[in-house]
Amino acid sequence: MTPVVHQLPTAYLLLLPLPFLLFFGLLEALRRWLRRGRARQGERDWSLPALESEPHDSLFSRWDVRCKLLSLLIYAFMIAALQQLSSALLALLISVLALLLARTPLHRALMRFLALGGFMGMFLVVMPFSAPAHPGDTLLVFHGLESFPFNLRGLELAATLLTKGVAIALLSEPLLGSAPLPVTLQGLSRLGVPAMGGQLVLLCHRYSHVFHAEARRLATGMQVRGFRQSTSLPALRAMANFLGMLLVRSFERTERVMDAMRARGYQGRFPETVELKMRPGDLLLSILWLILGIGLLLADRWG
Amino acid sequence: MNAYTGCDDMSEIKQQPRPESPTLFRTEQLGFHYPDGTQALLGIDLAIATGERIALVGPNGSGKTTLVRQLCGLNAPTEGTLYYRGKPLSGAHLNAVRLQIGLLFQDPDDQLFGHTLVDDVAFGPCNQGLASPTARELALQTLQRVGLAHLAYKPPHQLSVGQQKRAALAGLLAMNPEVLILDEPTANLDPRQEELFLELLRDFSGTLVCISHDLIFLYELCRRAVVLEKGRIHHDYSMATLVSQREALREHGLDFSFRFSSVPPPATPTSPQSAAAAAAATAAEKPGPEPSPTPLITLRDYHFRYPDGTHALRGIDLSLAEGGRVAVVGENGAGKSTLISCLLGLNQGEGSYHFAGRQVSRQNRGELWRQMGVVFQECADQLFCPTVFEEVAFGLEQAGVPRPKREERVAQALQQVCLDGFEQRVPLHLSGGERKRLALACALVLAPRMLILDEPSAGLDPRGEELLLEILRGAECTLLLVSQDMYVVGELTTRTLVMHQGTLVEDLSTAAFLAEERLAAVNGLAYSYRQRSSDAIRDLQHVHEHRHKHRHLHEHPHRHGELAHSHLHEHEHDHDHRFLHAHEEGEQRHGHTARLLHDHEHPDHEREPHDHGHTTEREP
Repeated sequence: MTPVVHQLPTAYLLLLPLPFLLFFGLLEALRRWLRRGRARQGERDWSLPALESEPHDSLFSRWDVRCKLLSLLIYAFMIAALQQLSSALLALLISVLALLLARTPLHRALMRFLALGGFMGMFLVVMPFSAPAHPGDTLLVFHGLESFPFNLRGLELAATLLTKGVAIALLSEPLLGSAPLPVTLQGLSRLGVPAMGGQLVLLCHRYSHVFHAEARRLATGMQVRGFRQSTSLPALRAMANFLGMLLVRSFERTERVMDAMRARGYQGRFPETVELKMRPGDLLLSILWLILGIGLLLADRWG
Repeated sequence: MNAYTGCDDMSEIKQQPRPESPTLFRTEQLGFHYPDGTQALLGIDLAIATGERIALVGPNGSGKTTLVRQLCGLNAPTEGTLYYRGKPLSGAHLNAVRLQIGLLFQDPDDQLFGHTLVDDVAFGPCNQGLASPTARELALQTLQRVGLAHLAYKPPHQLSVGQQKRAALAGLLAMNPEVLILDEPTANLDPRQEELFLELLRDFSGTLVCISHDLIFLYELCRRAVVLEKGRIHHDYSMATLVSQREALREHGLDFSFRFSSVPPPATPTSPQSAAAAAAATAAEKPGPEPSPTPLITLRDYHFRYPDGTHALRGIDLSLAEGGRVAVVGENGAGKSTLISCLLGLNQGEGSYHFAGRQVSRQNRGELWRQMGVVFQECADQLFCPTVFEEVAFGLEQAGVPRPKREERVAQALQQVCLDGFEQRVPLHLSGGERKRLALACALVLAPRMLILDEPSAGLDPRGEELLLEILRGAECTLLLVSQDMYVVGELTTRTLVMHQGTLVEDLSTAAFLAEERLAAVNGLAYSYRQRSSDAIRDLQHVHEHRHKHRHLHEHPHRHGELAHSHLHEHEHDHDHRFLHAHEEGEQRHGHTARLLHDHEHPDHEREPHDHGHTTEREP
């Protein structure tokens, strides 16, 4: 069987990006609307913990963190193994439902979606033109661009990849956003990940904000004294000084933080902030979730 | 000879009478040198009793922080021994003691490493062996105590500096420490936060050791003062004695009395605010550049919102004349820093902003930066070069000034800020005051039309503060000053803008603002305890002339019959002299009969005839 070829006028090429532009435009509008909504809400009540507070109480926040991590990570690998666009779309639907059930802030999920969409959108552009023509494929050939046929199978493949990526990215909200970071890291540590790794992640997360603020102030100081980024030797030397200063100050801060920890009794181990308790319901939920993943895989292969 | 103790050897300093409590810390000839060989402490003999409140003072680099690091076991002494409750502070004893000593770091970001406030405060109690739920309960109670219960689950980086300081203190108080050691606790706090902090420390019942340049704060908190200089203990006084002796304070760069210099005679009680008002009146009298008819800066209905929706500036209408000296005051979060970043073009708000008649936009802000200089509150944030010379020359280099001209202007700028000779020094290794002046030199070298200063006096020792004020008084450009320090406002500005919740609520002459107590209270700028302390200190420092019989020590040649000799001896005088002294608490009468032994200038005393009995063992 040879590929099916449809000849189209070149002007039709201009129509191709239209759905993507519409899609991303819609997302951007949604993001802005969410941001405005958030600004109207004002600051949340910080006297209540994220887990117990009413707006974030959800199936995922109550699920034992170890069971949740194991189940969702295995499930994510199952999604990655899907081959059909229809099953990937089903996985995406499940992720959206999980996201709604987790009741984590939608704008965060949307931000992940936008970041991933920008990167994976490239597949949608490149793969239809680069996928090799197999027997039975449908090729759109634009007049004057005969050497670059648009392969619909390539588009489907890119769409499958994009859908799987987004499904997994959306799942990261119920996975990581439904419990405080220290609890998630404590769960990982109980699952065998070295505790020191978790502590480092926690400290990096805390001090990334401090580091960012410091870098911004230093850059502002340079900017108001006339610094402009360029590839000239003085500009490169100034950038090297800037980075060197950030490094030295970060190193000094690291020493001071370590001293502060030692002064409060730190002896190489962070205290566990919560007591993890596994109930039969947690195990049952894990089993159900894995059954869902297996069902998805079976449907993908033989459905 | 030491003018106050009658001793010339510091090792003979009379220790203050200690409360009848067991000794907590004791050091014997304690010394410490850093791996590079720098001797930071030498021959420290110090005893601290349980429940004492000690101020550790001295100029930058005198070894205060190094000493407190020894006290809490973060560094081991390289010479001598340190005892805590009679046992050397090392090994298992050290591990146990660390849980009983709380050290508050200068930068709260160093100390708040937890994911949320409650996690951070519970860290210490968990290390003390409390179960996690109990520790968290205790953490919540302590946060309640410091007034931060409503922020218990907030990440530390989202707090203001004042809140961070209180959260860091909560982390220590939750451990119920026997000793609290504080390193510059009031640095970068606004008056309201400072007073809150003071209240918390007053309630602490354990032993307190506090490092600070702020003697007014220390006077309210501590009863004993240990003065360090070049790694040695130079004085060990009562706090009242230290603050009453201006010469000793000046000797160690701690004399803050210049803040009272514009104050009327002591018979009329005055406050720092009235002192600042007097200073403002003086500043207003000083000839300055003639204001230009065209405003340098014009803001009309200016608004700014942060991306999270915070409405930081609301309808600002402002006009600043060229050559003017203007202060912006207000409580933390009033929008002062946001206003600065908008004026610098770093944040773009809504409304109109004109600089020298031109609309400022993102495209032409480079031109704005060529005419504006700025010194940030944390001036270390604007220093990044390996040498002082390169740091000051950076702006000129960016502006394309040729090297010979650049060298000349750098030398001038460094001379202007009293840093000549520092060209090859590393900015990161300079003291706080030197860094601040260096940041100022970086701005002044570009000959800006306008200079913006954010809390210029924050974190400086009195000597550095006085020097900085002197430099700024001579700066010939438009000055916009953001400060919580009413004395600095009074000294440097003639006009004051009061901000509250993102709006400009008042625009007054500085003298009128400082005289307006209601405004200060509304904007969290009232320092009631500072006023109280300052009045008390000024009373202690007063100098007056009077006559009374007193005893003091002399060494001068004299004759006893046939025997002519010289030795230290004690005898009585009855004559007029100026007498700098402290009045004991509750003493109403202005008499000095109780102080029979003190020293003062005796011109030509050596030639006065006198006699005194003396024993042979005292003779040389």
